[in-house]
Amino acid sequence: MRILLNSLRWLVFMIAAVAMNFPVIVTLVTSLKSKAELSINPSLWIKTVTLNNYQQIFDMADRFDILAILWNSLVASLIGAVIPLIICLPAAYAMARFGFGRRFLLPVIVNLRAIPLIIFAIPLYMMYQLLGLLDTRVGLGLILALVNLPLTLVLLVNAIADIPKELDEAAYIDGANSFSVLRQVIFPLGWPTIATTLIFGFITAWNEYLFGLILTTRRAVPMTVGASFFFSASGGGVQWGVAAAVMILGAFIPTLLGIVMYRRISESLTTGALKG
Amino acid sequence: MNLVGWREKLLLLLPLTVFTVIFLVIPFVTNIVYSLSDVKFETLRDINITGVGNYQKVVTDPEFWQAGWFSLRFGLLTAILECLLGLFLAIFLSPLLKKRSWLLAILMMPMMVAPSLIGLMYRLVLHEFVGPVPYYLYEWFGDSPAFLDGMNAFRTLVVIEVLQWTPFAMLLFYVAYVGIPESIREAAHIDGASWGQMFRLISVPLILPALLVGFVVRFIDGFRVFDNVFVLTRGGAGASTTSLPIYIYQRFFQQGDIGVAVAASMIFLVASFVLLFGLNVLSRKSV
Repeated sequence: MRILLNSLRWLVFMIAAVAMNFPVIVTLVTSLKSKAELSINPSLWIKTVTLNNYQQIFDMADRFDILAILWNSLVASLIGAVIPLIICLPAAYAMARFGFGRRFLLPVIVNLRAIPLIIFAIPLYMMYQLLGLLDTRVGLGLILALVNLPLTLVLLVNAIADIPKELDEAAYIDGANSFSVLRQVIFPLGWPTIATTLIFGFITAWNEYLFGLILTTRRAVPMTVGASFFFSASGGGVQWGVAAAVMILGAFIPTLLGIVMYRRISESLTTGALKG
Repeated sequence: MNLVGWREKLLLLLPLTVFTVIFLVIPFVTNIVYSLSDVKFETLRDINITGVGNYQKVVTDPEFWQAGWFSLRFGLLTAILECLLGLFLAIFLSPLLKKRSWLLAILMMPMMVAPSLIGLMYRLVLHEFVGPVPYYLYEWFGDSPAFLDGMNAFRTLVVIEVLQWTPFAMLLFYVAYVGIPESIREAAHIDGASWGQMFRLISVPLILPALLVGFVVRFIDGFRVFDNVFVLTRGGAGASTTSLPIYIYQRFFQQGDIGVAVAASMIFLVASFVLLFGLNVLSRKSV
């Protein structure tokens, strides 16, 4: 009976794992099929595995420059992950330690999580047009920072609240000010949370689509948008093998980070949701 | 603690405040102003306030209501399905997950991939010539539906969203579920509680906060869905899959109707807050 129930659990797990990861599995399989095989074999089995599709992406750099697009995503996502940390860390400190900004600023930022982002897309588009930030990696990164603000702030406030107050009081008595306390006490002790926040922010920024679609056109196009361009730009029918390889490359970095850090990410996802 | 003066405290808040003003307050005010004026791409800088005309245009546009109805249905249905499935998986798989936590990583994988990429991947999965799903359906049943046409489009999109985001609900519920002290369950077990009673009287009430949060978070995300729907149908299938963000996007970028797009954004914003507030009140009552 016990064994039966246990095998049933494994069966449910397998079904759930395959169903949820199905698009990624199919795309990975397709990306490894040769062009000839693709046209006759849509099944999930591959007769001859080839990396040709991946090589072809790099051969078409004049029409679809994958390295430039990955670079755009990388730079914009780094900006989008680091800036929230820089501006939220001091604010989170003031909120957690002195209750300063808790009444107004904190709820405003936390509620941002619930606001449909498209609402800011239009005015920011017009603002960027004035400032010349349209189609730039920095411009995109700044907006991605906005997207990451709520979770970053919630996680940092919680992390700082967990650090014993006595530690910074001791530093103050030694004549430190709050910025040096941040650097010397909070930053090292809060590092695990800070690192998770950075990685999670990076993944979120990398995966963002709407702002990339609206604010970039050519030079600063991120991976999410570039991949959809690829479908329409290849003309005369989509080359499915190459398209699949492009999507796998686009999904690779965040998935890898997610798998390596799954324990910490699941922790921050749940605190972020429950405390926010 | 008087070791830190109020100036220093203000200084701590300054960077976040400045960023918020630039990226939230200014756009918000711009939205209000533009939604009340007659504005075109050529006349962005001389603002000509004309009143509530844009709002009238929006509320009398049947496509706006259709988009709103799509978003609401999509948000509610996906949130309910994700929570039910997530709750089942969290409880049923918890003995496995407790022993081998790396299994969680496999279930969390879909959440790490961009929804827009997942949407594009389904173009491949469901493609009538190269997609494995139609292929196997033909092999096994001799027929395969047009997944992204007419009435099917909505269902297909719901399934896609649910498969990607059930892990979120599951994770949240799983963490809450394993947080229930073992002693409570043992006591109930000794008292002879059946599996159903354990579920109804212990598990669900004790993880109720997580259930409500999961529902609200998933509803919000479903209500404002854009990425996967946009890459799959562009709101098409006879506008039957136009969500509110897609409606706004189309008005702005395809028709250049800035006033209408911005007015629709403001209505969308208010609707989001009303729904969020409503859900909060409901969940306070039931906790």
